[in-house]
Amino acid sequence: MSEPDNKPGEGSNHSHPSGDERYNTVERTMKRFKYEKDALLEVLHTAQETFGYLSEDLLIYISNHLNVPMSQVYGVATFYHLFTFEPLGKHNCIICTGTACYVKGAMDLENSLSHQYDVEVGSTTADGLFSLATARCLGSCGIAPVVVMDGKVYGKVTPKSITATVKRILEESLQELMEVETG
Amino acid sequence: MEEKLKALGEKELARQAEVECRIFCCTSTACLASGSGETLQILEQGVQAQNYSKDDFTEIVQIGCMGLCSQGPLVRVETKDQSDFVYGQIDSELALQILAKHLPTNSHSTTLVSKPDDADLEQLRSNIKAARKKRGLVHRIISPDLPFFSNQIRIVLRETGQLNPESLPDYLAHNGYKALYKVLQTMEPEQVCDEILQSGLRGRGGAGFPTGQKWNFAREAKVDTKYVIANCDEGDPGAYMDRTIMEFNPHCVLEGLMIAGYATGASSGYLYIRAEYPIAIDRIKKAIRDARRKGIIGKSVMGTDFIFNPDIRIGAGAFVCGEETALIRSIEGMRGMPRMRPPYPSTSGLWGKPTVINNVETLANVPSIIQNGARWYASIGTEESKGTKVFALTGQLTNTGLIEVPMGITLREIVYEIGGGVPGKAEFKAAQTGGPSGGCIPASHLDTPVDYESLQELGSIMGSGGLVIIDDTTSMPEFARFFMDFCVDESCGKCVPCRVGTVQIRALLDKLIAGHGEIEDIDRLERICHLVKNTSLCGLGQSAPNPVLSTLRFFREEYEDLVATEIASGGPDG
Amino acid sequence: MGDMEVGMITLTIDGKTVRVPSGTSLLDAALSHEIDIPRLCFHPELSVSGGCRMCVVEVEGKEQPTVSCGLECQEGMVTNTNSEQLTKMRKDIIDLFVSDHPLDCVTCDKAGSCLLQKYAYEYGVKETSFTEIISRSLLQDDNPFFIRDHKYCILCGRCVRVCDEIVGAHAIDFAKRGFEANIATPFDGPMIDSSCVFCGNCVQVCPTAALMPVSRINRGREWELERISTVCGYCGVGCQIEYAVKDDEILYARSAGDPSVNGDFLCTKGRYGWDFVRNDDRLTQPLIRRDLAHELGITDEPWEAPTTSPLAVRRPKVDDYFVPVSWETAIDIVCTRFAEVVENHGPDAIMGLASARCTNEENYLFQKFFRAGIGTNNVDHCARL
Repeated sequence: MSEPDNKPGEGSNHSHPSGDERYNTVERTMKRFKYEKDALLEVLHTAQETFGYLSEDLLIYISNHLNVPMSQVYGVATFYHLFTFEPLGKHNCIICTGTACYVKGAMDLENSLSHQYDVEVGSTTADGLFSLATARCLGSCGIAPVVVMDGKVYGKVTPKSITATVKRILEESLQELMEVETG
Repeated sequence: MEEKLKALGEKELARQAEVECRIFCCTSTACLASGSGETLQILEQGVQAQNYSKDDFTEIVQIGCMGLCSQGPLVRVETKDQSDFVYGQIDSELALQILAKHLPTNSHSTTLVSKPDDADLEQLRSNIKAARKKRGLVHRIISPDLPFFSNQIRIVLRETGQLNPESLPDYLAHNGYKALYKVLQTMEPEQVCDEILQSGLRGRGGAGFPTGQKWNFAREAKVDTKYVIANCDEGDPGAYMDRTIMEFNPHCVLEGLMIAGYATGASSGYLYIRAEYPIAIDRIKKAIRDARRKGIIGKSVMGTDFIFNPDIRIGAGAFVCGEETALIRSIEGMRGMPRMRPPYPSTSGLWGKPTVINNVETLANVPSIIQNGARWYASIGTEESKGTKVFALTGQLTNTGLIEVPMGITLREIVYEIGGGVPGKAEFKAAQTGGPSGGCIPASHLDTPVDYESLQELGSIMGSGGLVIIDDTTSMPEFARFFMDFCVDESCGKCVPCRVGTVQIRALLDKLIAGHGEIEDIDRLERICHLVKNTSLCGLGQSAPNPVLSTLRFFREEYEDLVATEIASGGPDG
Repeated sequence: MGDMEVGMITLTIDGKTVRVPSGTSLLDAALSHEIDIPRLCFHPELSVSGGCRMCVVEVEGKEQPTVSCGLECQEGMVTNTNSEQLTKMRKDIIDLFVSDHPLDCVTCDKAGSCLLQKYAYEYGVKETSFTEIISRSLLQDDNPFFIRDHKYCILCGRCVRVCDEIVGAHAIDFAKRGFEANIATPFDGPMIDSSCVFCGNCVQVCPTAALMPVSRINRGREWELERISTVCGYCGVGCQIEYAVKDDEILYARSAGDPSVNGDFLCTKGRYGWDFVRNDDRLTQPLIRRDLAHELGITDEPWEAPTTSPLAVRRPKVDDYFVPVSWETAIDIVCTRFAEVVENHGPDAIMGLASARCTNEENYLFQKFFRAGIGTNNVDHCARL
């Protein structure tokens, strides 16, 4: 099954048959932890960061190389909410639903964005452009309610202000896309 | 070895004293979200524009939380002539005014760090010049005498607004690692445990277990391999104390962890940090790297035969992993499902070895206790609850932010003197402590002293430090439902009372809130809450019903009103 | 704990004085002294979970009841396993279980041996006093051995523990968390894609109808089945098997539960390899080859044995090659022929090949016939191959 030049123990000869370099990043984490089974969470972290989500193939790869039973890899990955199994949209919005944010109206933000873009919390719009998620407390309670859009933190938002921000970002993105296609 | 570190600290202190003007800009997440990133940029560019080299005459330091987050972005200015100003709500415009007011007017620096023909910097220079005439800054001064600050005793947060969190020399300059040195040179592990025991320090993660006792259990175990773990999985929604400590004073956490390691006999330590705190992770990583380079971490700590190697493990979005046995499971690469206790982690924990798990705030208290003595620490607080507690004061309050107060301070003092009361026309309704594991304290109990036992008597807990103020616009049943929703989401699923019980509690709350409940449902609610509380396997399930029970205790009429709604609107009979 | 003496300690359970080795759990101490404590997730041969909370007991000096499976006996401990408080607590717990479990007892195949049903009966839980909210709906009917019906699962975890600790196949594990948690194969995929070895031990330890043998579904009620104890014929371990039989047909096999041999566990052969018993291909009469039959004058037609292997022909019909004869004729032929061979070539010219699909008694006779009757040790068994 393995290529003739994939001799075990020889550096990064564990490269994935697909040639996808990202697997090497995951392999490096496994190596750093000496391929011990305890490293499963750290490896899943690297995998999530590198690939953006955990596909079946990726999890099978991890199971084989770290020698952890597949049922356990799946059980651990699905336990922790940080790990996702579907690719995210091009733009990501996380609404903080911590106590302070809740008290300051986080649910209204959730409802208005979900309604505006016809997307459920925890999923992506049909065109793959926009994902909506909630987080249980980002630790910025002093400026509640908080929304993180594409990694940038927005504090003291209102349904109106965040809808406008998201609208602007998505429109700019679509504009770029059109320019790429026509240009 | 210690001489070198001492010299490093003194050198840094001397260097700082020579700087004409030090400007501290808070870049903690809250201030960052308020725009301190732009503020910082203006400040840094402005210094460049005025041809100052940062090292000579002006220094911009990124610091951590000064506490008054609602007034962010916060900027502090310290000049060589000992004047000290703290400014709030500094946007780009006001940043210019700060530069105009505080930068030394004569530059003695011969090094030109900017090209004279850089158009942007030229513009900035003229903007700063124009800002000299503006008077807006005067209204942004935050007085250190504000009750917000004067009512606090800042031990863990003592270096707020001072410390560059990415500089080991700065930490050393502020008495950093002196406690560790003292412990290694002059104290036996038993003495260290005793000192912490005498101080009365109790777990600041919420349970309030005497730290010294926990350390002693592990120390007494006759096993070669032991572990100490810093629990940085601050999962309570509405709490950011630990995040702040890790982000702005990472070395303090490390120092506390190492002292714990020495005291218990552990040479390996872990810091379990939740993934949602990337800045904290980076700062701790850097702190470990820097400390290792200077021989503070590794095979021979500060030249002694104490070995200590800490490593970081990152959480992955599971509140239950703040529970000790679940945390251990997580580090072991498994699902974070708690185990029955006994055996307790201090007897059999990580990989079956004696393990001490301490909250970040608990550990951050340790260096101060070692340096100043147990008696000093025990002189603060009450009989059973010693020392101070950091709270994240949030919600419907004028002054929200991070505070550190002596145990025993009344809730009234916190809400009105420190917090400045509820803004606008709204009225104070309740203070919620302990997050999803805690309860509400109504106005009638505002004079309750904030300590472990008093809060427990009222049906709440100290918790990790989230303190949310609610006004009369919040519905208590809905508030309780918010927390129950959280618990349903975070339940690990192992035991039936928590897995199914919390879902049933939420369903009952939904039924009541929707106006479809009967009066018997309130009794049913109470019954199942007690069942879940008394039969759940771990702390999550055992305390999940607290918000419901607490709101039932003090705001029962709101639940009863929900039932009355249906009857009033002509609902079905009986 | 290594160099501490494992001494005996004395404690009181329900007023009865009990002596157990130190380190024993309270539940084990009670069960070993015929004191019954209700339990769902506990299994004597698996690690302790502590998830069902049914085994709560009262301990003097402790404010709240504690689960006894995780409680280590202490010298002088005084405990009660039954009280009004405990009964109420257990009833409420069953109530919670039942709220997340379809009450299909009327037509459920597990009725009569379902632990949840047993305790619901004992504690008088006719239906849930809460709202029925069923968390799982997945039904996996993807292999010929067992069905996995998640709506009946109570997440006791016994199946996971058996697969991990006893079998070592690690085919299933808990997935997701909280109310949505389920016991999953990787990606909730079919059993055949997992590392399952189809030993069925998970099915045996499952307390509810979540895991059921396919062969048993809709074939009869538990109390209608005759239980026949026997010893497995497949290998030298000799596991204790109990067949559940109805109308002379085996419906399923399970371990007879002898801890000294195989406890509650079997392998896939013992548990599922009994379908030969009623197989249509099974021989019911002695048969002799056609050419021999012709030679002996039993048939008239001459017959040439084909030069190619009969297996090269698709599905060779028995009738093409063999002729049925009576037992007397068959035994006559065998005895005569064997006697000739022994006389002319010695007893070692004969070998006997026995089968795992014969009973142990049959195999015993078989080898006795060869060793004592014929006088050779040339006897072998398919299991050795």
